[in-house]
Amino acid sequence: MTTPGNRNALGNRSESEQRDWRPTAPVGVLRQRAELVERTRAFFRERGVLEVDTPVLQGGANLDHGVVPMRVTIGSEVRFLPTSPEHPLKRLVASGCGDVWTLAPAFRAGERGQRHAPEFRMLEWYRLGWDDRRLASEVIALLATLTGWSDEHGIITWRDAFRTYAGIDPLTVDDATLIARLGADAVVANHDRRIALDLLLTRDIEPRLGRGRWTVLTDYPADQCAQARIRHAGDGTPVAARFEIYRDGIELANGYHELLDGRALRGRLEQELAARSSDEQLDERFLAAMANGLPDCAGVAVGFDRVVMLALSLPDVGATQAFTWGDA
Amino acid sequence: MDTMGIGEVGKGNKLIFDGAPWLVLEVNFVKPGKGNAFYKLRVINLLSGNTLEKTLRGGEKVELADVEDREMQYMYHDGTSFAFMDQTTFEQVSVSAKSIGDDKDFLLENMMLNVTLWNQEPIAIRLPNTVQVEVEYTEPAVKGDTQSRVLKPAKIKGTGGNVQVPIFVAIGDKITVNTQTREYSGRVSK
Repeated sequence: MTTPGNRNALGNRSESEQRDWRPTAPVGVLRQRAELVERTRAFFRERGVLEVDTPVLQGGANLDHGVVPMRVTIGSEVRFLPTSPEHPLKRLVASGCGDVWTLAPAFRAGERGQRHAPEFRMLEWYRLGWDDRRLASEVIALLATLTGWSDEHGIITWRDAFRTYAGIDPLTVDDATLIARLGADAVVANHDRRIALDLLLTRDIEPRLGRGRWTVLTDYPADQCAQARIRHAGDGTPVAARFEIYRDGIELANGYHELLDGRALRGRLEQELAARSSDEQLDERFLAAMANGLPDCAGVAVGFDRVVMLALSLPDVGATQAFTWGDA
Repeated sequence: MDTMGIGEVGKGNKLIFDGAPWLVLEVNFVKPGKGNAFYKLRVINLLSGNTLEKTLRGGEKVELADVEDREMQYMYHDGTSFAFMDQTTFEQVSVSAKSIGDDKDFLLENMMLNVTLWNQEPIAIRLPNTVQVEVEYTEPAVKGDTQSRVLKPAKIKGTGGNVQVPIFVAIGDKITVNTQTREYSGRVSK
């Protein structure tokens, strides 16, 4: 049969045959990745945490500082891809589901590098009645199970990490000292303290965390609380009940003792939205759940691709994925 | 002035920093959990050959350098500069001896190579990875010395440059040389 359509298909054959259609990760890696997923599932089943699925197209956007959500337009409707499954999971917790976990697709616009992919899998879970410290121990227990390494770890506060590895007290340092510490990178920070400290964190501190054991970086400054509650540190300064876990200089997890005050949370998200030039929409269903009341809980998100990268000694997160952003 | 978002920049892009053209060798994206994104670029200055680490913030715009590589033929040199011709347009350009440096040792008349133009001005050449040259002079091999690991200097016909060659290479031999490492890679069979 020779219809114009068929001829066309044949004419394009050589071009489509040249397309690189094969998966990025070899099947051996995919098998080991599947094994890590199974071990994760077993870990939570044993502990009585319920596995759930969350939507990939949300009615409202996640509004984490420095994280840009993707969106799709369906006719006149705009939907947002989750930057993490945080909102639907908290709605489930608020509804009385108890402890829940998911391994869900997450999307972050423009994040592309050795440790970043615009599309990846986020392992996220919530524990009722727990605080951030207890949850950090459970994260390390899971990471130890997945990697086969010991659960030996150290805990350092955000402030002490700057004092130890960057030689400054981030809360009291004067601008001149900070600029001197940045050296040639001072021009990048352009007199913005938050940017200057983030730059020092990525340049001088993070590469030294998690060497030979897990590191829990905790007690973030109150202005970096995201959705964590605020508590007072030993020295009396208000800090966020937030932690991150590092291994080999790589950040793997971000967790909070969750903020329960729905009104305060709305205020934080509205402030973040106002600071953006883009027109994201607040996730009103999520905020309604928070206004109704989230039970006392701690939650954590783990970049699953980074865990696979680390467990299998792969060079980048792309090497853990069947199809990466570049060839999806 | 053409610009590009830093998020779009990849290996091989040519950008302007501090008024000079740079080639991007490597891009690394770093970002603390809920913090500001940074791009760490490793770039090489197309004029001086110096490499540099450059940090930029996410969302910044960078200026694109108007740099193109054009295949041209080497014509001649007059002591201070070398002349090349585009075989399609017959346009002729000259590149300073300073920019060419030691590459002159492998520049044979009528050879085709890439000339890098910045704002239409030639700034550098890129030789083929291997070239074939003729040995103008080298010390004859000592009889009985069969250790091929031993190297001796050989003068290249036409350029006067020197390369190290195995002991069995003789005057008049045609040899191939790696232009990047300046190492002998083989003898062309006669």
